[in-house]
Amino acid sequence: MESIPGNGRSKLRLVFARPEYSSLVILIVMVVIAAILQRNFFRPSSLFLTIDAFSPLILLTMGQAVVMISGSFDLSSGTALSLYTCVLTWVMKNGEPVTGLYALLLTLAVAVLVGVINGIGAGYLRISSVVVTFATSFIWLGVGLFIRPTPGGESVNWFNAFYDFGNVKGMPAVLSSIGSVVPPVLILVLVACLIWYIVSRTKTGRYIYAVGGNEESAYRSGISTARIQILAYVVNSLFVFLAALFFVGQNQSGDARFGDPFTLRTIAAAVVGGIALTGGRGSVYAAIVGAIIISLVNKIIFFANISYAYGTFVAGLIVIIAIAGSQVYTVYSRRAVAAKRTPK
Amino acid sequence: MKILEAKGIKKRFGGVVALADGNLSAERGKITGLLGANGSGKSTMSKIIAGVYSADAGEIRYNGKTVRYANPHDAKNDGIAVVYQNLSLVANLAVWQNIVLGQEKTGRLFLDNRQAMARSKEIVEQLLPGLDVDKSVSELSPGELQIVEIAKALSEEPELLILDEPTAALELAQVQSLFTHMRRLAERGIAIVFTSHRLWEVLEICDDTVIFRNGANVANMDLHKDGRDPDRIISYITGETEKTEAARRTRGQGLGEVVFRIDALNHGDRLRDISLELRKGEILGIGGLAGQGQRELMLALAGYYADITGSAELKGKRVRLTNPKTAIRNSIMLVPGDREAEGLFLRHSVFSNIIFPKFGLGRQPLFLPRSRYRRECEQTVDTLSIKTGGLDLPIRTLSGGNQQKVVVGKWLSFDTEILLLSDPAKGVDVGAKRDLYDYIVEQVRTKKMSVILYASDNEELVDYCDRVMIMYEGKIVEILEGDDINADKIIESSMHVVDSTGGQAEHGIDTRQR
Repeated sequence: MESIPGNGRSKLRLVFARPEYSSLVILIVMVVIAAILQRNFFRPSSLFLTIDAFSPLILLTMGQAVVMISGSFDLSSGTALSLYTCVLTWVMKNGEPVTGLYALLLTLAVAVLVGVINGIGAGYLRISSVVVTFATSFIWLGVGLFIRPTPGGESVNWFNAFYDFGNVKGMPAVLSSIGSVVPPVLILVLVACLIWYIVSRTKTGRYIYAVGGNEESAYRSGISTARIQILAYVVNSLFVFLAALFFVGQNQSGDARFGDPFTLRTIAAAVVGGIALTGGRGSVYAAIVGAIIISLVNKIIFFANISYAYGTFVAGLIVIIAIAGSQVYTVYSRRAVAAKRTPK
Repeated sequence: MKILEAKGIKKRFGGVVALADGNLSAERGKITGLLGANGSGKSTMSKIIAGVYSADAGEIRYNGKTVRYANPHDAKNDGIAVVYQNLSLVANLAVWQNIVLGQEKTGRLFLDNRQAMARSKEIVEQLLPGLDVDKSVSELSPGELQIVEIAKALSEEPELLILDEPTAALELAQVQSLFTHMRRLAERGIAIVFTSHRLWEVLEICDDTVIFRNGANVANMDLHKDGRDPDRIISYITGETEKTEAARRTRGQGLGEVVFRIDALNHGDRLRDISLELRKGEILGIGGLAGQGQRELMLALAGYYADITGSAELKGKRVRLTNPKTAIRNSIMLVPGDREAEGLFLRHSVFSNIIFPKFGLGRQPLFLPRSRYRRECEQTVDTLSIKTGGLDLPIRTLSGGNQQKVVVGKWLSFDTEILLLSDPAKGVDVGAKRDLYDYIVEQVRTKKMSVILYASDNEELVDYCDRVMIMYEGKIVEILEGDDINADKIIESSMHVVDSTGGQAEHGIDTRQR
């Protein structure tokens, strides 16, 4: 009669039955394949590069996951990412460190505004989130092109801190040595995790799940569902903003066009990570796993020496298998648990 | 002391009067039963009190003040909690998360989950001991869901608790524990309004009862003083049925051979061991309380469920009713119950809606014979006297009654042999209802087709059916024929009255109770 029936083993089974964990199995398989194909996969220098390559998608996917749990989609996160890099490099002047701070604050404000606009469209105006964010994605692109018609711009030196501590002049030796062990972008991901940790333990976090699960019920329970949708989009914007910091740190320039291809990959990654397309279910941390899986697909294609044309074809197939696999796994394990529970 | 007094409440939905003169009062510490047939206005009444609908006229006094709630939230803040028939839980959250949803307390920094869990457990423990509050709501049985729903309402510590058919999904033991808890709440001074279709429940638990018929309260009884006479209450619920001028049929005359036979049909636990025979030219009624599997039976016969068991025979030939296309090919046509969701393409024109079924049947010419369809369509509109501004207007511009005529009419232009009608006159005004049934009866007479009619309004069953089958919990519990087809008898059978010792009818006592 105690809360969770059964012994330790069935408890473990219940844990693995959760959809989030199905993706872990896929991840392990893919890491094994990647490690076989790329001999030095686990060497620190190679891992460092891998983390740099994967992290932006991880950040964007975490944001997409929050929006999807709240029952919406964000088709504008890719162009929003581009827009933030444009704004950052537009404000910053090389050789004037303080402009970096201005850029940071202004872009943060832009990011919040982007989230609020998307949220108002989907929440208060009650337009389908797919339509709203598809439309706004062109607005972000347009604004980005207005600020920066061609890739370029300036950056302050200390923005290197978001990519490589070693490139920052006058960085204390202690910090640079940390930077040579921990990739700075990993710190950005940890910041994102911390933000979500805090949000998920407040009413807002609970309500994001409730609104995504059953908007009508949430409304009847006295929750302002439109406000929650806005907050979900704002959290998403913050994560996209963190990714923008990394890109500007890495390239020292802005580009209005480079972000768009990310958008649909974030949705695929979130689904592989166990986020329900219908909203309300999934874990933002598990979405990280999904993002790693989707990123590994490209890595495997590259190291398997498949030509580019076949490569994209195979990449599509792997994504389908990954998504289908996680869904099938979820259904089966849920059935197994249900069968175990009913006879008591 | 009266906590609630609603007087002269009126409410219309489009052309339909849901409440003509509704009066209801509730007292602290008392349980008031709200009784009435389907569509008598009792549900509308409780929704108006809870702020879901606003009344067209009338006055509601609550706690001595005249109130007019714009939304459920305001009513809730005043201490009015409602448990609705259709549940309002979030499936992906845990039981305890649902119970505190909207009233979460924050600790120093984060949500205070420990306190919320303990509080939920405390409330649930009183209603259904042993229910794990950490379980996800998606894993609960319908009965457990209803309990959680009630627990959620109780967590708001209401002064007035409105329970709209809370027992419909509960098992007997759960009903008893709910009753125990309701009594405890009443002793604490809470006023409770309790709606149920099961007469015995009202007789057992309530202090007073208010009976609604045709949108007005026809009787207010103090059960302690006036006694608990079920026959008297039933007569209040049914009233004297006013016969319409509609085409009356002589029951059971001119029927042909058996054309359709169903044997041991099962679908999960919604349909259990259904067997029936239908004769040529017969109108077979399906009655019973709402939600006893009637809708599912109609859908199953129309081939909506792939996983049914049992056998079906049409004119001596076996047919498999596992997809709608086969059913339609065999001339079994369904007029679904929810016309907006299942019966119509709301944005399409009247014309396309009427001719749509033709696409799926038989060989089609490469290009549609538009002018021929046009003529047929005009004919249908004419015979059914469908009021429309034009064939090319979207169907949603028509009134509910006229929309329903289209739903029925589009099938009748075929050589339908078996017509399944799932509550065809629901939400349709009296005039349109008569047109509709006149047309159906006429078609049955001239084309010799057979009809299975599920109607939530017993009057329709009495007026038009040759036989009436009563369903209860997915089973056919009684078949009424000849003079047994009357409102009293149908209601009695619907409540699943069981003849007990000495042949004395014990009203509404469930078999499981003994």
